[in-house]
Amino acid sequence: MRVPARVATALLAALTLVGCSSAVAEQKSRSGGQGAAGGTLVAAIGTDLVPAQFYSGLQAASTIAGLTYESLIDYPVDSLEPQPSLATSWKLAEDGLSLTLDLQPEATFQTGRDLTSDDVKFSLQTYADPARAAQLQRTAAAITSYDTSDPDRIVLGFDHPVSNIFDLLDQVPIIDRESIAGFDSGTKYVGTGPFTFDSWTPNSRLEFSRYDDYWGEKALLDEVEVRVIKDSTSQISALRSGQVDVVLGAPARDLEQLERSGEFRAERLTGAEADLYVGTNVTHPALADVEVRQAIAYAIDKRRIAEEVYRDRARAHDLPWPEYSPAYDPELDQRYARDVAKAGELLDGRRVPTLPLAYMAGNPNHEAAAQIVQANLAEVGVETELQPVETSQFLKQLIGAEFEALWVTEHTFAQYTPSTLTVSAYPFNADGNASRFVDADYQRAADAAWKVADGTGAEASRRYAELSRQLLEHLFLIELVETTQEHALSSAVDDIAWSKRGEIDLARTTVSR
Amino acid sequence: MIPYILRRTPSALVTLLLASVLVFVLVRLVPGDPVDTLAGADASPETRAAIRDQLGLDGSPVAQYFQWLGALLSGDLGTSYLVGGSIADLVGAGALNTLVLAGSALLLAVVAALVTGVASVLSRSRLLDAVVSAVNTLAVALPPFVTGVVLVVTFAVAWPLLPAGGVPPDGFLGRPGITAQYLALPALCLALPAASVLTRFLTEALRTELRQPYVTTARALGISRRRIVLTQVLPNALPATVTVLGLQVGGLLGGAVLVELIFAWPGLGMLVEQAISTRDYPLVQVLLLLSVAVFIVVQVVTDVAHAWLDPRVRWGGAA
Repeated sequence: MRVPARVATALLAALTLVGCSSAVAEQKSRSGGQGAAGGTLVAAIGTDLVPAQFYSGLQAASTIAGLTYESLIDYPVDSLEPQPSLATSWKLAEDGLSLTLDLQPEATFQTGRDLTSDDVKFSLQTYADPARAAQLQRTAAAITSYDTSDPDRIVLGFDHPVSNIFDLLDQVPIIDRESIAGFDSGTKYVGTGPFTFDSWTPNSRLEFSRYDDYWGEKALLDEVEVRVIKDSTSQISALRSGQVDVVLGAPARDLEQLERSGEFRAERLTGAEADLYVGTNVTHPALADVEVRQAIAYAIDKRRIAEEVYRDRARAHDLPWPEYSPAYDPELDQRYARDVAKAGELLDGRRVPTLPLAYMAGNPNHEAAAQIVQANLAEVGVETELQPVETSQFLKQLIGAEFEALWVTEHTFAQYTPSTLTVSAYPFNADGNASRFVDADYQRAADAAWKVADGTGAEASRRYAELSRQLLEHLFLIELVETTQEHALSSAVDDIAWSKRGEIDLARTTVSR
Repeated sequence: MIPYILRRTPSALVTLLLASVLVFVLVRLVPGDPVDTLAGADASPETRAAIRDQLGLDGSPVAQYFQWLGALLSGDLGTSYLVGGSIADLVGAGALNTLVLAGSALLLAVVAALVTGVASVLSRSRLLDAVVSAVNTLAVALPPFVTGVVLVVTFAVAWPLLPAGGVPPDGFLGRPGITAQYLALPALCLALPAASVLTRFLTEALRTELRQPYVTTARALGISRRRIVLTQVLPNALPATVTVLGLQVGGLLGGAVLVELIFAWPGLGMLVEQAISTRDYPLVQVLLLLSVAVFIVVQVVTDVAHAWLDPRVRWGGAA
């Protein structure tokens, strides 16, 4: 090939690659101006939508729920005081056996249809369907009657008082009953929220646009695009290169570095906490002895896990309850503060065989925490064998109570009414749990905490104290640290918010460059 | 050529049938269960039973296999348990993206191998040989998740010339210039190992051919080395390289899983990862069977190309 021909080919290739316009420049020119309305916010998430798991609270479903749907009430992130949302007011009967809710008369679905009490009934019944595997299914199933004779009011009836009924009302998205087929297939999500769901391209993106007839204050952004970027390194690269504005649920290890650059910041989702714990199989010959479990609790350096694994973005604790919970007791919460000597005393004379210690493979935080637990236990003479377990298999073992001895993982729901944990979270479920721990006193305490009318009142607090005492005494599950999910944001993004459910709230958000 | 293809068809069908059995059994041997994925950690036994019934997983495995095979033969790929929707639609959308990515990578690899291989034997420069050899070694040794990250950090973050990931917003044909920019990094990342292997094979095949007596004769007749290489040596070196190319196509499809994850390219690789991690049996089965079918087709096409390039194969009926 002659030189001019080579040059021409190279130029042609370069022109094709660079094109008349730049894809990078296009991606960056989507803002609404400094602090102004309009523009498109682009967010990155790590897992794609699984329509059959909409109620599981996974990232994509949670994003749709936050933008498109609303619930009857909303909890503030730092308390359990219900605030009006689609229900403007409510009255709980003194005996706790019925709850009357008045609905927001201005609310309409994004199809233009008015919200009615039949939609609320449909949403609660859909949520209660066991095949949909919703987290608070058992609480939803406790609703035994619905009165929808008035389209703007619904009366829920129960056979017994349900202390966590407002947790359910906070959790359940009110869905359009006329588009349930689209809801099931992932093609149509119709709610009453500030953004309309436009489309889902599997493994690629979710698209939303502002709902201009929204009953409340309208959103400032024109559009929201949520990109599925499964690799966490690629998520951070996309943020650094300005191709996305927000990474939802960014890895802790990247946040420090991003914040140091000054161009990005981290937003902690306080109020939507998760808790890292060590589970114990109490039928294992060594772990059947509660003093061995107590020794393990005393031996683990929880503060080190908080500092090293979560870069000081976690709080060491012994009970699951966050500081604003009606069950929180600062003294009880530090009952098993690290005390190696005491752990040694408790183990005195006991021969503990090597204990398998399972954790979810591919989760760097869980792996690092498991290694610290292993080192801490070795200090008191308890040898463990680390067992990384693939996610799906880990879940199977957790559900089937198949772990041989110890495991490290997270649970959620402690940020809600305490009884939600013992009714709906498998690790704590008094009727059957991953630890195979069954005890009549614990069952009675869990049942009493659930069947109280006012979930935040004095009587409830007394019952939660008994629940805490049972948890600390039996110690079938050793709490390690309370963690908080964090979003990584470009400095161009302002006023991002979230709900106690951990759902993103972009109603007041602006993007500017 | 048609009788040659017809001779290959029965064995291809038997391979596919055996693969269908293997795929069905393997998927069920993997620990985990779609019911666990759907039901979540806090599910009651009633919830799990309701989901198992809904997914049709309560029948015997043999009955489930024949039901699946019957549906496949009637053209029904089934419905995904978890990803949702028709498997035909999911595979169709993903296949187009993967085809474009793998096709671009293949084109890049072939062009790179041809240019580098021919330049290497023409120049006879030791320095060029050393550089090509070093680059080849690096390209084979570095896995795509390393080269992918290096490419993204270099060309999308430090020097923001190209998108870090994603697909063109207006489709592949909307604006070819923009499409080329979105394709550049993932295609290059996927092409590097294949280009390296092809370069090595082609260069070696060219050198072997250059030692043949007909080359000495041609040189004695005063024909230039460049002309001999391009018109005589290269065509004779191609059949062996084409066979390797067929094997590389399989490697490209496997490599696409990682590259698609790194570059958020929504192709079959991402779909395979999602289907396996959620234990979406029907989707995994179809995707694995499809990969076997593609590999069989590629092998047949490679053999046909080999026969077309080398008349000895055609005439001898060997394959």
